This record gives sequence, structure tokens and C-alpha cells, in this order.
Amino acid sequence: MRLHWLELILFSTYAELRAERARSYLGFLWWIIEPAMNMATYYLVFAIVLKTGQRDYVPFLLVGLTLWQWFKSGVSHGGQSIWQQLGLIRQVRLPLQVFPSVQILADTVKFAFILGLLLVILWAYGYRPNVTYFALIPVLLVELVFTAAVAYLVAAAMPFVPDLRFVIEQVLQVVMFFSGVVFSLDSIPPALRRWFELNPLVELIDAGRDILMYARWPDWIALGRVALISLAFFALGTYLIQRYSPRYVKLPT
Amino acid sequence: MSDAIIELRDVGVAFNAQLRMGAPRFWALENVDLALPRGARLGVVGRNGAGKSTLLRVLAGILAPDRGRIRRERVSCQLLSLALGFVPYLSGRDNAILSGLMLGLRRREIEQRLQAILEFSELGDFFEQPVSSYSTGMFTRLGFSVAMQVEPDVLLIDEVLAVGDTEFQKKSGAALRERIHSGTTVVFVSHADAQIREICDCAVWIEHGRSMMQGAVGEVLAAYHAAAPPAEAAQ
Repeated sequence: MRLHWLELILFSTYAELRAERARSYLGFLWWIIEPAMNMATYYLVFAIVLKTGQRDYVPFLLVGLTLWQWFKSGVSHGGQSIWQQLGLIRQVRLPLQVFPSVQILADTVKFAFILGLLLVILWAYGYRPNVTYFALIPVLLVELVFTAAVAYLVAAAMPFVPDLRFVIEQVLQVVMFFSGVVFSLDSIPPALRRWFELNPLVELIDAGRDILMYARWPDWIALGRVALISLAFFALGTYLIQRYSPRYVKLPT
Repeated sequence: MSDAIIELRDVGVAFNAQLRMGAPRFWALENVDLALPRGARLGVVGRNGAGKSTLLRVLAGILAPDRGRIRRERVSCQLLSLALGFVPYLSGRDNAILSGLMLGLRRREIEQRLQAILEFSELGDFFEQPVSSYSTGMFTRLGFSVAMQVEPDVLLIDEVLAVGDTEFQKKSGAALRERIHSGTTVVFVSHADAQIREICDCAVWIEHGRSMMQGAVGEVLAAYHAAAPPAEAAQ
């Protein structure tokens, strides 16, 4: 991609965040309050009411939710982005990957705030920073690529099937429970668990917990496999967006 | 014509009219032949719904032909679009940068021109305020000032020759005419004969998605009006 489009992506991301901040009284405080409220809800339901009595449940839940919400918001915002910009696309010629990329970057900035908050909470709980923190860099990078890949694929399809936007939230909700975010997949029979582990998020969230809670290095082979899958899907998503770009402009609004 | 920078041959463009399986496509352009010589000022005439705006967007490279051939040299084509991609909650300055980036300028180039945009738009301190607080006139002034910063090889204009209140109309009209007569290649869509005669040095007539005639302005306009139904010709 030309340097010029990179400038457009970066400035649009800034514009997106800035506009979002201006749309409410509390502004960017919502980037922290909203996910914190979401986490509190899950904590209330699963830790207090249902007494999911596993050890270390609170940090387990918070790490899972933090990594999950980044993926989820990237996919749901990025997935709608091309469809939402059809009016603009009719006016000017742009590489359409710009739109999902902007949404994903904006969500990544918000994720950075939440990650900071999460680390503070974990330290308060007694989970100290450790040398395996370095492994967060590849884990988060892989999650970024995987999020972008799924967002690109959804974004490529949404202009043809706008109905997808009603489905996507529900599907994401189901995927969340299958990704071991709120409860551990250990309780699932091993034969079945193999299938669950095909989901890259399971590996990414496990790796996050290993690092942040147990000071364990992630399973590099599994992470490498997820990285390859993510890159392959990312390439496919990019190809599909480019391939169908000429057709989006001819669709009805 | 071999010196054409853009050449269309039998070009057709179809739209999906509805989001429904197997819905028929609608051909906004059926059969257009066109040659755009470098430096030409081409007027596009035709009735409402004839496909004039669609043709402009084909020339801009936004719409790809579904049939026929298009040959273009390495030239930049830009539709004159006002307030492209403006975000209500952002300041005039930020919107100018955003819009400029979308129109193909580099960040550095826009920042060099911000002063010119500020002066031309006469926004003063409002330049730093969110555009949602602007009056319609201020909004248009900013949009026009930004659009004028882009200098494409081929400038595509859809009806708009001047914008804003009376005062600014004179200024924007003058600026645009200056640009048009600076040697840029221009394609201009209009319903007003007088404007076509004033601006263009050649014209093309589009009817029901087909190009009927391309040539000198006077001849094309004469043929177009001769073919018009009496009621419309009277307008």
C-alpha cells in the first residue's frame, strides 16, 4: 500500500477517535468505563451469582474478556465499515481496505487503555510483571492480524448482504462462549476439545493467561500455527475486498 | 482520435437496482463512445437520467465498465466533490486535512495549503471549531476551498460552477473558471446551454445511455435541441 494511504488510515483513525470523544460528555473515559461495566456484569453473573468457583476466576475472566473485546469490537466495527461508507465510495476512488483498517486501529487504541487497566488490576491481585511479558508482543500481533482478517472477510461480504449485521452480533456472542472467555474449556471432553482448539482465539486467550497469570511462555508451535492461519485469512480478505471493489459502487444503498 | 488521454468504446455500465436474488440489472450507460483529448474542455449535454453523471464517474475511475473498453493514459482524474468525507464533530482544520487525504493529497501538501484554505474560506476563528457548528454557507465555503486545492490532470465537474451566498458565488465562480482556463482538461456536465457555450470547446450528447454525437459545441447543441420533444425544448 502506498505511503499516502497509510497517512489516510492514520489520520482517519485519529479523526474517528476524536469524533467519538466529542460525541459524549465523558468523552474518552467511556473507552475505560464501558468495558469495565461489561466486565463487572460478567463478574456479577458468573463469579457471584453462579459461583463459578474455579481458583483465580476473576483474573481468568478479566484477561479473557479484555482479549475478547478487542477482537469483537474490531470485527463488528470493521465488518460494517465498507457497507457504511458506500456513499463516500461513490464519490471518490480509494483502496477500500482503508475503512476496516481504520476501525480496527481505533479499537486497538481503546484496547491499549483497557490493557493498561487490566495490568494494574492484575498487579493489585498479586500477579507480578515477569519476563514472559515479552511474549505478549507476538501474541497481540497475531491477535491483531486475526482480528483484521475476520473483519476484512465480513467487510467484503456485508455490502452484498447487509442483513449480516443483524447476525454478526449473535454469532460473536456464541463464539465468545466457545472461546473459553468466561469459563474454562478444561471441563469439555478431550475428544471434543480438539475441535474447540481449531478456534484461534482459544489459543490466543490461553497464551494471554499463561503469560499474565502463570508467568509461562506460550505454546510457540500453536501460536505459529495460528499466525499462519491468520495471515492466510488476511490475504484472502484483502483479495476479496479488492476483487469486489468495482461491484460495491453499483449496489443500491 | 489518437491523442486522446481517455477513450471509451462501446462502454456500458449496469447497476443492481435492488438487493434481491436475481433482480434485473439496470443499464445506466448502454453504449458510449468518447474521446477526451488532452487540454480539451468537453461539455456533456443530455436529459435528466440520460447517464451524464454515470459517465463522469466512469471517467473518474470510480465505476468500471461492465462492457466495452476504456483506455486511459496515466492521468489523475478527480470529480469536484464538496465536503468529501467531512466528519461533523471535527474542526474545520481536521476536516480539511481528512478531505484532502481522501482526494489524493499527501499530508505535507495539505498542511502547506491550510493557510490558503483558511483565507479562501473566510472562516477566521471558526476554522478551529467543529463543522457541526457551521452555517450552511460556512460549510460550503470550507468544502469548496478544500476541493480547489486538488489539481488533477482531468477535472470533472457535475453542474456545480459556483457555490455559497451571492458574495462567495462570485469568488468561487471566478476561482473555478480560472482553474478551467488554466489548460487543465475539463469535463463539464450541465443543463445550461449558456454555461456549456461559455466554458467548453467541444461537447458530447448523451441520450438514454448512448452517445449520440461528439463535436463542436454549437453543432452538438443544435442537434440535441432539434431532437428534443417540443415541451422540453421550450424550457
